[in-house]
Amino acid sequence: MTSVAPTAALPETTVAEVIRPNRKPRGGVGATVLMALAALVWISPLVLLVITALRPLADFVSHGPLSWPHSFTIHNFTQAWDIGNFATTYRNSTIVLILKVPLGVFVSAMLAYALAKLRIRFGAAIMYTVFLGLTIPIYITIVPVFVMARSAGLTDSLIGLIGPYLAFGIPFEVLVLQSFIRQIPDEIVEAARIDGAGAWRIFLTIVLPLSAPALVTVLILDAVATWNEFLFALILLNSDAHKTIPVGLLNFQGQFSNNSTGLAAGILIAVVPILIAYTFLQRWIVGGLTAGAAKG
Amino acid sequence: MSRRGGATAWVFAAPALLVYFVFLVYPAVSSLWFSFTDWDGLSPTYNVVGLKNYTSMPSDPVVVQAAVNNLIWAVVTVVVPVVLGLALAVALNGKVRGKPFLRLIFYTPAVLPLVSVASIWGWLYNPQYGAINAFLRAVGLNGLAQPWLGQDSTALGATMVAAIWLRVGFPMLLYLAALQGIPHDLYEAATVDGATRWQQFWHITMPSLRPAHYVVVALSVIDSFKVFDLIYAMTYGGPGTATQVMGTWMYFNVFQYNQAGYGTAIAVVITLVAIVVSVPYVRSQTKEHAI
Repeated sequence: MTSVAPTAALPETTVAEVIRPNRKPRGGVGATVLMALAALVWISPLVLLVITALRPLADFVSHGPLSWPHSFTIHNFTQAWDIGNFATTYRNSTIVLILKVPLGVFVSAMLAYALAKLRIRFGAAIMYTVFLGLTIPIYITIVPVFVMARSAGLTDSLIGLIGPYLAFGIPFEVLVLQSFIRQIPDEIVEAARIDGAGAWRIFLTIVLPLSAPALVTVLILDAVATWNEFLFALILLNSDAHKTIPVGLLNFQGQFSNNSTGLAAGILIAVVPILIAYTFLQRWIVGGLTAGAAKG
Repeated sequence: MSRRGGATAWVFAAPALLVYFVFLVYPAVSSLWFSFTDWDGLSPTYNVVGLKNYTSMPSDPVVVQAAVNNLIWAVVTVVVPVVLGLALAVALNGKVRGKPFLRLIFYTPAVLPLVSVASIWGWLYNPQYGAINAFLRAVGLNGLAQPWLGQDSTALGATMVAAIWLRVGFPMLLYLAALQGIPHDLYEAATVDGATRWQQFWHITMPSLRPAHYVVVALSVIDSFKVFDLIYAMTYGGPGTATQVMGTWMYFNVFQYNQAGYGTAIAVVITLVAIVVSVPYVRSQTKEHAI
């Protein structure tokens, strides 16, 4: 560090005086403009997607992808909605979401409670085993999962997705929920026990309500992951009537490779619910990711 | 609270553990078994062939290529997003207007389905109608316009650009949270001492971020081994086999070439590497969470 000379040159100034003139210009327009430009570059694929989806194909082809549209239309969306079979894939993805997410969060909360407050035997070993699941790629399980689903008659069925989806969601959910439930003061749990409450009552009336912020976060993140899951859906579902949005979008992409505006509309149809949910719920997502990963 | 939960604790733990063992642990272990067989994935019977699937891997040029691609993918899609994410976090932690909005923008790609990210970038890379070639032509770089996903030389790089686009947000969020935990007086003292911003970054910010570095890099590495969706939906491993990674080559062997035994062996290899690399992280997490 070459800090000797400047320090000697400023012997009588106070801390506040040094910091103010140094920092204020930095906060100004320069940094903001730079960051705004970077953000614009980052979001430009999505902006371009929206503009393209709203223009007629002929306009796109004759004026190029970077031109401003000469006219606007919603025809691309109606066409993509019909051909992309989105009414069906939306319904299927929603069914999976409703069946899987609350159940997954509930059983994960139960396990997290057992690990955090019930002093379960081999707790550390259980945690190690479950956290190891964070590192397991889905593809190592697809052959046996496929065999299991086939022998249970659950291929090409949304129900067949539930088990694998639950299993792969559990590690992260337990990680976040365990660290949250652990912070609930033991005195509260103990007082309820002395009042005669059993483990279930304590779980349902004390632990779950007090964990509401963590539960909401985990519910949202799990919903996003479930909505986006691709590989299990790819190998287990084969009829169009049972496909979820990611698999449906992949088919759609193949059919519309020469129709850029229709393709843009289809992609948007697939991602708009996620984008809306994210915009409104981002506070929870950000909080959960940083709590689950940074604090540990 | 000295008494242990006994049976009640196991009642609470059982449902999640049961699902976890049936649908994750059991399939993962049973893949290990399939990897020692010549099963085609369809026939009712198969033979145990020992380590043959493993010993034949080095002579499969696609496996070698997939392993190299996985390595490149791991290095590039960890290092670039982590460095960019750190730079964004430092910038956002300074005096910038509209922080929540900027943060929202940079993390947005991370919440999209990977298939849609693949579709978006496939659309941007389209040789005739894609925005990227249109942009290059518009600024007079016609010579650089090329079929990005359609030629060996650029295909892997093009998929990694999409991965970087979606993966910058996560390190940014974690670093931002960690930066907000660094006490302000450290910087004030350094400023009094005349340290430049660059010196402050290396001597205060970076050392304070050490725990965050560890978590960010560990999670990014773990994630990089899982690569499948993006490659499958964007290039299908092609052109030829230029963008095959272990995950996709495993899939093609199982579901296209009826070589389930060989395919699972490929998955076992890459999973073992992933586990070995991540064990320190799993261990540290367990320690932190232990009672």
